[in-house]
Amino acid sequence: MCRRASLILLAFAVFFAVLAPLLRWYAFPRLAKVPAGRYQTVVLEAKDATLIDYSTLEPRKVSRITMTETLKGNVERAREVKDETGRDVVVWDTLTFVAGPDGAMVSKIPERYVFDAHSQQPVHAGGEHVDGTPVQRDGIEFKWPFLVRKRDYQYFDMQTRTSAPIHYRGTRRFHGLDVYYFEQTVPWTRVPVPQALPLGLTPESIRQLGLERWYTTKRMFWVDPTTGAPVNGEEVHQEEMRWTGHPEKKPITAFAGHVKMRPDYVDSTVALVTSQRRLVLLMTSWLPWGFLGLGGALFALALVLEARSRRARAQTADMSHDGGKTGLPPPAGVGR
Amino acid sequence: MRALVAAVIGVAAAFALVLTVTAIGPPSGRTSPKPLLTTVPAHP
Repeated sequence: MCRRASLILLAFAVFFAVLAPLLRWYAFPRLAKVPAGRYQTVVLEAKDATLIDYSTLEPRKVSRITMTETLKGNVERAREVKDETGRDVVVWDTLTFVAGPDGAMVSKIPERYVFDAHSQQPVHAGGEHVDGTPVQRDGIEFKWPFLVRKRDYQYFDMQTRTSAPIHYRGTRRFHGLDVYYFEQTVPWTRVPVPQALPLGLTPESIRQLGLERWYTTKRMFWVDPTTGAPVNGEEVHQEEMRWTGHPEKKPITAFAGHVKMRPDYVDSTVALVTSQRRLVLLMTSWLPWGFLGLGGALFALALVLEARSRRARAQTADMSHDGGKTGLPPPAGVGR
Repeated sequence: MRALVAAVIGVAAAFALVLTVTAIGPPSGRTSPKPLLTTVPAHP
């Protein structure tokens, strides 16, 4: 009985001991992925900002500018790309809608971002664009890969349509989470004018006014290292309308402000990331170590049972060798 | 010999479980019917 139990325990011990590394290094990279059907909104605000008034072409102070970013996973397109490329991808259709203090549109920029669901690296499958202009990203955007490392990453900037390093600047404590802080500064760069502007203005009409758009920003992200999801983002953002061919003329500030995530969105993002973080930790740490410990304990138990079984068998063998002597003294009068 | 058979069963079961789970994979879901927002939401 002991021997059978020890063999069963040994099978389970091996099962859990093998399952631990398989879960961490085989299953996790294949199962951990950004869901293709994700829908998420983030609202950012810049208080006491400067904004251009296109009717007078003069900058004015406003109490608040709001940026609403919506990410919507396009599952049908993701399936098509998978059929074409064989890669598990996510297709995000996004819209950055900027509104003035009265809620009226300041600009809106749509994007399509196609990336590998597991590694978050961009996939060039056609259809990627920023504001209708085809682009080829070579850096991440919106989200870091799972299990973020303490190093710089290439980050895509939607205004310049180029990628540049975003620098790891240390670990910070944010709303109870240990997060990695990243920072990127985009120097003054000429950038395209958005297709949708107030008062029916177009990039062409801006060009006819003799103006061109320039932009600089300092971008900051607080990223959960386990899921790679930013839990907070800020930008010190400046835009100018400069006079084409007239560097002596004073540029018009089109936008200047410190853009921060609205506190209720910070709270909801932290709650979402905290729950997702547990799932990733379950697969990368808690279950593998737990299974390894369980495998070790079961193996030890199997050895104990096996030793008992062998001892019992040895005793049985001894009894058969000495003719069934029990080792007790013979009853009185026997053998005398 | 029996111990070896037990160990092989353990290894095979672990591989079978992990390969099955990864082959099934997580569900891909469906595209949300919600629109890309052009108004500022009051709350998350």
